[in-house]
Amino acid sequence: MLFNSIEFFLFLPIVFCLYWFVINKNLKFQNFLLLLASYVFYGWWDWRFLSLILVSTVVDYFVGLQIHKEENTKKRKRWLWLSMGFNLSLLGFFKYFNFFITSFIDAFNSVGYEMDYFSLSIILPVGISFYTFQTMSYSLDISKRRLEPTKDFVAFATFVAFFPQLVAGPIERASNLLPQFFNKRKFTYETAVDGGRQMLWGLFKKIVIADNCAPYVNTIFENYADQSSGTLILGVVVFAFQIYADFSGYTDIAIGVAKLFGFDFKRNFNYPYFSVNISDFWKRWHISLSSWLNDYVFTPLAVDLRNYKKHGIFAAVFTTFLLSGLWHGAGWNFIVWGGLHGLFYIPIIFSKKRFTAISTNKGAKNTSSLKDLHKMVFTFAMVCLTYIFFRAQSLSHAIDYITRIFKGLFTSNLFDIALPNIVLLGLIPLLILCEWIQRNEEHGLSISKINVPIARGCIYTFLFVLILLFGASPAPFIYFQF
Amino acid sequence: MNDVHNELTSLFREVLENDDIVLTNETTANDIDEWDSINHIYLVVEIEKHFGIKFTSAQILEWKNVGEMLEAIKEKKQ
Repeated sequence: MLFNSIEFFLFLPIVFCLYWFVINKNLKFQNFLLLLASYVFYGWWDWRFLSLILVSTVVDYFVGLQIHKEENTKKRKRWLWLSMGFNLSLLGFFKYFNFFITSFIDAFNSVGYEMDYFSLSIILPVGISFYTFQTMSYSLDISKRRLEPTKDFVAFATFVAFFPQLVAGPIERASNLLPQFFNKRKFTYETAVDGGRQMLWGLFKKIVIADNCAPYVNTIFENYADQSSGTLILGVVVFAFQIYADFSGYTDIAIGVAKLFGFDFKRNFNYPYFSVNISDFWKRWHISLSSWLNDYVFTPLAVDLRNYKKHGIFAAVFTTFLLSGLWHGAGWNFIVWGGLHGLFYIPIIFSKKRFTAISTNKGAKNTSSLKDLHKMVFTFAMVCLTYIFFRAQSLSHAIDYITRIFKGLFTSNLFDIALPNIVLLGLIPLLILCEWIQRNEEHGLSISKINVPIARGCIYTFLFVLILLFGASPAPFIYFQF
Repeated sequence: MNDVHNELTSLFREVLENDDIVLTNETTANDIDEWDSINHIYLVVEIEKHFGIKFTSAQILEWKNVGEMLEAIKEKKQ
């Protein structure tokens, strides 16, 4: 079920009313309702793949209890490997099988052996990269004694499958989300209204911004050979706003829906295009994935390599980003995308000058200031360069695209730009302006400070009108494919 | 034993280049802006060098706050 579909707009009020008005007295019933609702939400897309979620849930539920009980370090490791092995095999089979087979055959063919191509037609189960990472972090935290396992199977299963974040994150940690299933949820009007605002803002970003960017970006990437340099550059810039609006829009709806049910998710985006360097960017973009990779890949690697000083740190950063690329998709273009981000850390790691991110996710105020505009633009340009690999169909597609940009720079066609429609030209600056004004707030429509109800009403009406006027027909979210 | 605490504080101030840092046992990376994952590795390297000790990787990964770091340092020094 998509957040931007009619089904969801019927589903949500039904679950909401049952949850708060019918079974509000019993915590266990509420959890069970959320589990049932989550399975319906997922099963709406394809009920067969529910079995994968259920098996992953059962495996990590039992592994968690076993690791906790086991005192012997070797045996604990064995249990942990069972969880890792199982989840990574699921991912490996459904997401990477064909990629590895064809890459393997390519490698053989390139050294002279002739092998025939074969691949299986495998459908990627939606959300698999997200929920497997969530269950793995549960077992990893227990093995590090950072977390106690739960004996409540329903609560654990709901933690794994909780519908607002099941198919595209945020990848929640058990330490944050799981305890919330054991505490009585209180309905507060302020939180619910704030959740509603965040949902509206997310819908606006998805339906109005992202879905209007899509046709323009698709045309340019599909027919890149016929475009001027300037158009190719603009195509990537518009894609940058498309993917941001799409993914952060999804996240805003997810967090907003969770608030409606009295749950608090971790923040996933913190105005990433106002970052002043690449390290700052990764503290603000898809925070739940970058912090996952930070805790379970980068830090253990960097600790092991710490005697190699900066070279060790760079090796750990680079490996982490290659894996991040592979997480996004089974393709060399994604691996190069990750690799580039890793390389961009070189000045940060090796220079004498310290690059402090001006904002962190630690509750400190976001002190972005226009004085840093040149740094923001430079960081955005670097990110855009990597997006070419992210958006392209293949590595050769991306390289051709970049080659055409550079070839065109020295001919006359740089300024011969095919502009997107006038609506989009107005909407993207509007998004940037709103986010700049709101950069110290949790989300773009966090406007409880505006004390005049009429003013707030005007803002809501304005957004509704934009959605009605310019809303594109419902399209799936980009991150569903990962 | 307060010496270790003071020495650790000055190491933090030096590595993170912030003289305002005050450490308590409960301080975590969430409380100090400059204490990100890359700087954490520099901190560990400096701590090992300064106190002339060597932690196991598993030990480092189990620290939850400054208090646990202090415990580990004191234990190794004995």
